[in-house]
Amino acid sequence: MFQQWHLQYKLKRLINNTKSNKPTHLKTHYQYLLTQLHQPIVNLNLLALDIEMTGLNHKKDEMVSIGVIPIINGQIKPKYAQYKLLKIQGSVGQSATIHGVHDRDLTEALATSEIIEWLLQQCQDKVLVAHHALLDIQFLEQALLKLGGPIQQLFAIDTLQLEKQRLNRKNQYIKNGELRLNACRERYHLPIYSAHNALTDALACAELLLAQLNKMGGLDNIKLQDILRKY
Amino acid sequence: MDNSELQPIFDFMRKLAPFDMLHEQTIKQCCKALTIVYYSKSQKLVHVDTNEAQLYIVRSGAFEVSTQQGELIDRIGEGQFFGFSGMLSGEKVVNQVHILEDGLVYHLPAKIFDQLRADCYQFDRFFNRAFAKRLRDQGSLNRSAINTARITNIMSKQLTTISPKASIHEAALLMANHRLSSLVVEENGQLCGILTDRDLRNRVLAKGLDGNTLVTTAMTKDPATIETDSLIFEAMLKMSENNIHHLPVMSENQPIAMITSTDLIRSQSSQPLLLIGQIQRQPDLESLIQVSQKIPDLLYNLISSDAKASEIGRILTSVTDALTRRLISLKQQDIGPEPMRFCWLSFGSQGRQDQMAGSDQDNALILEKETNEQEAKYFKQLSEYVCSALNECGFPFCPGNIMAQNPEWQLSLQQWLQQFSQWIKTPDPTALLHASIFFDMRPICGDIRLFEQLQKSVLSRTCNNDIFIAAMSQNALQSTPPLGFFRSFVLERDGSEVKGIDLKHKGNALINDIVRVYALSAGIEEVNTNKRIQSLIKQSAIDKELAMNLLDAWEFIAHKRLINQGHQFDHAQTVSNYILPDSLSSLVRHQLKDAFKVIYEAQSTIKLKFLRQF
Repeated sequence: MFQQWHLQYKLKRLINNTKSNKPTHLKTHYQYLLTQLHQPIVNLNLLALDIEMTGLNHKKDEMVSIGVIPIINGQIKPKYAQYKLLKIQGSVGQSATIHGVHDRDLTEALATSEIIEWLLQQCQDKVLVAHHALLDIQFLEQALLKLGGPIQQLFAIDTLQLEKQRLNRKNQYIKNGELRLNACRERYHLPIYSAHNALTDALACAELLLAQLNKMGGLDNIKLQDILRKY
Repeated sequence: MDNSELQPIFDFMRKLAPFDMLHEQTIKQCCKALTIVYYSKSQKLVHVDTNEAQLYIVRSGAFEVSTQQGELIDRIGEGQFFGFSGMLSGEKVVNQVHILEDGLVYHLPAKIFDQLRADCYQFDRFFNRAFAKRLRDQGSLNRSAINTARITNIMSKQLTTISPKASIHEAALLMANHRLSSLVVEENGQLCGILTDRDLRNRVLAKGLDGNTLVTTAMTKDPATIETDSLIFEAMLKMSENNIHHLPVMSENQPIAMITSTDLIRSQSSQPLLLIGQIQRQPDLESLIQVSQKIPDLLYNLISSDAKASEIGRILTSVTDALTRRLISLKQQDIGPEPMRFCWLSFGSQGRQDQMAGSDQDNALILEKETNEQEAKYFKQLSEYVCSALNECGFPFCPGNIMAQNPEWQLSLQQWLQQFSQWIKTPDPTALLHASIFFDMRPICGDIRLFEQLQKSVLSRTCNNDIFIAAMSQNALQSTPPLGFFRSFVLERDGSEVKGIDLKHKGNALINDIVRVYALSAGIEEVNTNKRIQSLIKQSAIDKELAMNLLDAWEFIAHKRLINQGHQFDHAQTVSNYILPDSLSSLVRHQLKDAFKVIYEAQSTIKLKFLRQF
């Protein structure tokens, strides 16, 4: 109950503070979240997201690529999946070995400002979903900050947190690596994909969420306010 | 690379039959058109929207399709489909889909599915077969209904057309060059008529017209046509009703092919009875070789009509039997009647009536008495002719030289009796190897009394012969079935991993060996594994539950073997008994594992029963 009030309060404050819908669509996004808080997930539009970065430090490292795939009324829609590369200041360096994005691929990349614009447009009527959302959100908030303007706060459903809560409830001791995306998927007998392409990971995260929600009581019973978190 | 491409979906779809037959670009389009849904056991049923038909492609999990009355139709695991029946028949689906295990399902919209079927004939054929199977399982189509195939399966891919304004001479030339009996007359993609041999005869030659006559005056206007998705049966009906031999095949009001009565007859000719009839009529070896080229088609048709594996084995063997008999009688027309009574025997798979693709020949001769030089020459000629003819007809020579043309296996009844009693008295490894082949014997041609005498005597010696049966049991335990699967490997009982399973030698052959031990110990005359088990049950010579499990396991493994061979045939691969675990759905893996378990239990039982070992 408290969480619900807290989310409502935060969202209302953000909507009031976010004047003239700047950056574009952010206010619309907040309004969507506020009106949908009490809705079951099956009635919502979600956007599963994954970002590949040059490192894990949002103050220092940069975003390299973003993959998104929407979940509309509980159905994943590959048709609207998108994948974008970002222009970066430095080099992808050693991180290329993880996400497979090399400097030479970045010629068609977009500037961070364009990406933020594009992403906010994508999610103006959608709820963000990510695995270990904290990391992705930190990078996005950092980008918003760089674009000028007040500190913006973002909200997301985090499949890692959902899994952690579930394991904690079962009083299971969580070992190192057990909350990784593929480790979580294995627990639901979902197929294992080769990781670290932003789009593949976004799909993997979307499927994991559906599996988790079904275990938690079903998409028509779980409401947005039960699982949305502020960052 | 297209940036928004979803690699995991594409990787899955491109390996999935029948999507694997599609062009890469088409598969990518399919991937984009899908929606992905997660089904949970707690929901119990998949809500199938009858107004918005779609193909359900199971990515993970397990499902069960049943009728509204609760009758089970199909169990569906990873890489299998449901929801297509309605799209094929155009009727609303009333089947229920139960969720057995949580999983991901891809939904492919009907529009895309229909487009793929229209564009790719193999794709269409795949689902029509699956549909026919479902119908049969529901009992609304019985096994004798062989005409459920669609005309798309048999119509020629090329359409030869001519303009109505062309001359008869041009038309005749076109027909001669393409060896056709008819042409489709077409203008701007629209069907105007057809021109057949008979039209040329009746409307041109008989009327004394010359070659400059226009096609339009000679053609049959407004011909009867048939739609591309019709059944072969419907095409036959239309031809016989209208007394015609040619039907243009239409798709979206445009002619796409011509189907002739010859096509229809040809499509039916690989049926077993017809094939056997043909074999009996052929006048020489050359034409027999020709006819026996249809045996793989027969096998393939039987597999796709989903006949039981044991029935397929019997049907194929009866074709081989007919071929053998025809060859013997052909040679006898040449060299005259036999100088003494003889019986042509078959062993191994032909003996047991479980022949499948690529079976080699195992045969021998029982003669009334020992031969003199003249008589020996006769049987040498006869057997050499038949064995090499069988080889040419697709039944390769036996690598172990167990063939009638080998003088070692042209024995008099007396010599056969001695031979068998020697094997039975001193069951050394060679004797046991021979026993496992020769004890599955069946008479094919000649005097059956010779065979009966031999069999009776042999069985009287093996029945309750503890020492011999113990040796046979030992022999049957030489090889064990795999334990199951681990990831993409087959897990052997000793913990080692191999890439593929030999379904014959690690499956059916082991069951044959086990059942043979039982049958010889109980003095049962049957040699077919299935019939042996039935007789054993009747005589209470085997635990009934074990026997029924063995029957099921035999049928299941043989069926998988056939399906695998059908798949290999379909993809123009070498037909073999090997199956890779990767190609099995998780459900089939479980079932195979259970079948192997049955074999292992049966082996333990004979160890206990005949070897007194634990």
